[in-house]
Amino acid sequence: MRAFAALWRKEVFAFFTSPFVFVLLGFWFLLNGLMFSVILDTQAVQNDLSLLPPYLFGSGLLVWLLLPAFPPLLSIRLFAEEHRMGTLEPLLTAPIRDVAVVLAKYFAACVFFLLFWGGVLLLFLLLQLHHAPMDWARIWGGMLGAMLVSFLFLATGLWASSWGGNLVLAAGGGAALNYLLLFVPALFELDEGWLGRLARMTHLPNFLDRGFAAGLLDSYAVVYLLSMSALFLFLTWVRLVSRRWVP
Amino acid sequence: MIRTHQLRKKYGSHLALEGLDLEVAKGEILGFLGPNGAGKSTTLRILSGFLPPTSGRASVDGLDLSQQSLAARRRSGYLPENFVAPFEMRVEEYLRFRARLKGMGKKDAHRRVQELSVELGFQDRLRQSFGALSKGFRQRVGLADSLLINPPALLLDEPFSGLDPMQRQEFRAILRQLAADGKAILFSSHVLPEVEELATRVQILSRGRSKAVGTLQELQHHLQRQSPVLLRVVAGACKYEELLQQGMKHFVFTWEERRPQEYLLCLEDAKQRPALVRWLVQKEVEILEFREVRPDLDQLFRSLVGEESA
Repeated sequence: MRAFAALWRKEVFAFFTSPFVFVLLGFWFLLNGLMFSVILDTQAVQNDLSLLPPYLFGSGLLVWLLLPAFPPLLSIRLFAEEHRMGTLEPLLTAPIRDVAVVLAKYFAACVFFLLFWGGVLLLFLLLQLHHAPMDWARIWGGMLGAMLVSFLFLATGLWASSWGGNLVLAAGGGAALNYLLLFVPALFELDEGWLGRLARMTHLPNFLDRGFAAGLLDSYAVVYLLSMSALFLFLTWVRLVSRRWVP
Repeated sequence: MIRTHQLRKKYGSHLALEGLDLEVAKGEILGFLGPNGAGKSTTLRILSGFLPPTSGRASVDGLDLSQQSLAARRRSGYLPENFVAPFEMRVEEYLRFRARLKGMGKKDAHRRVQELSVELGFQDRLRQSFGALSKGFRQRVGLADSLLINPPALLLDEPFSGLDPMQRQEFRAILRQLAADGKAILFSSHVLPEVEELATRVQILSRGRSKAVGTLQELQHHLQRQSPVLLRVVAGACKYEELLQQGMKHFVFTWEERRPQEYLLCLEDAKQRPALVRWLVQKEVEILEFREVRPDLDQLFRSLVGEESA
């Protein structure tokens, strides 16, 4: 536990001292701010402010464009950069379990990503300060859903990052995987058969649109997102273990 | 303390280690010598728990790396070749993080880092970021990292690379002291004088195979049996290389040119020396010097791996 806490703290500290991460954070705030103001300017939202969370967190630019791209950019430093720098060898020869290494790095990234969402929350708080009537159930729901999706995308990014020291491949691979998770179910969603049913059950924007961003806590979606995150963390662990134990 | 038995490692079709046996006892410094690609780093990486062996066994303090990796890693300190830490971290922060990673409490970690920084002479660099350190100080930080939990075994991969002569001398003194404190030290190098000066035993590796192992005296004795002699001749019109090739038809020996008109001959049978001198005189070679030489590690190394690395 001590080793896990030490590594987690070091990783969080490393995020806070990385200029690249702050550039990333700046872009995220800028793009989210732009999207927020554009959505806020639409006639429908002007008429009914409760539509703002579904428009922002639902099946829009955020989920289709920004969310798949940003988490892998953050997670490349977790393994790929360590590999490239040569700091992975001292880490993996320290007396710490591989599972603790994976979890400490993942949770550090998740905690840091809360800062990304904190900026978005700030925009809603600004509106509240101007006495705008806010639907907080939809806001919290939408944020929770988007956060869970971003945690899943961090897990896929972590897995891509564990494959080697090529940063472009790690970031590109993670983003590509995230786009696959978004687009593949979207392609088969209209199918009448089992494929369509499966696609509708795994279509991430659906979870946000019809569940979280509508202010509903969909337990199926929560379990699905957490399970998928756990699957990619497991794959990352397998990657580390195989590196150490597959001759 | 550190042991491998029939250790094999394959990278795809390339066999990096082929049945390597080694043993380092408490208080001993084993110099692991070999040309680049001999398998030294692979062995150390297996012993540190970073790589798995293809077959065979590796253990530290009786703990098998395949079965008790975590416990074995607690019993050894590993300094990889070209050790690096995150450049942005301060030395003190990094070492305290590593101490905590290795299971030490906050206070103990702080105390140990201060202690090691004094012992290894970098106490005035603790507040500097790792990226700002010279190669010598980086190596010291790496060594401090490997010593944090005071492990009984040390695995050091090319610990002297990039150090200046003063730093090398200091580093040697530190390692000698650690061995005197009872640590088993295995270090790899392809710098012969380093090994010659520091190691209590030497193991020579070539193409994944152990070629020789023993104390320097034992290895010298091994080469002594080959009776190396130094032949120095007067410069003249005679083509000595051709002559020596001719001589190989009559006597069993190998030779190499050390300098112009200076050759090192290794006879298989020392009794053949007088006959060889007579034969050289017969061939009108003007001999300035013909004397037995004490073989050094360099000669032994070249005689064992020279041909293969060539």
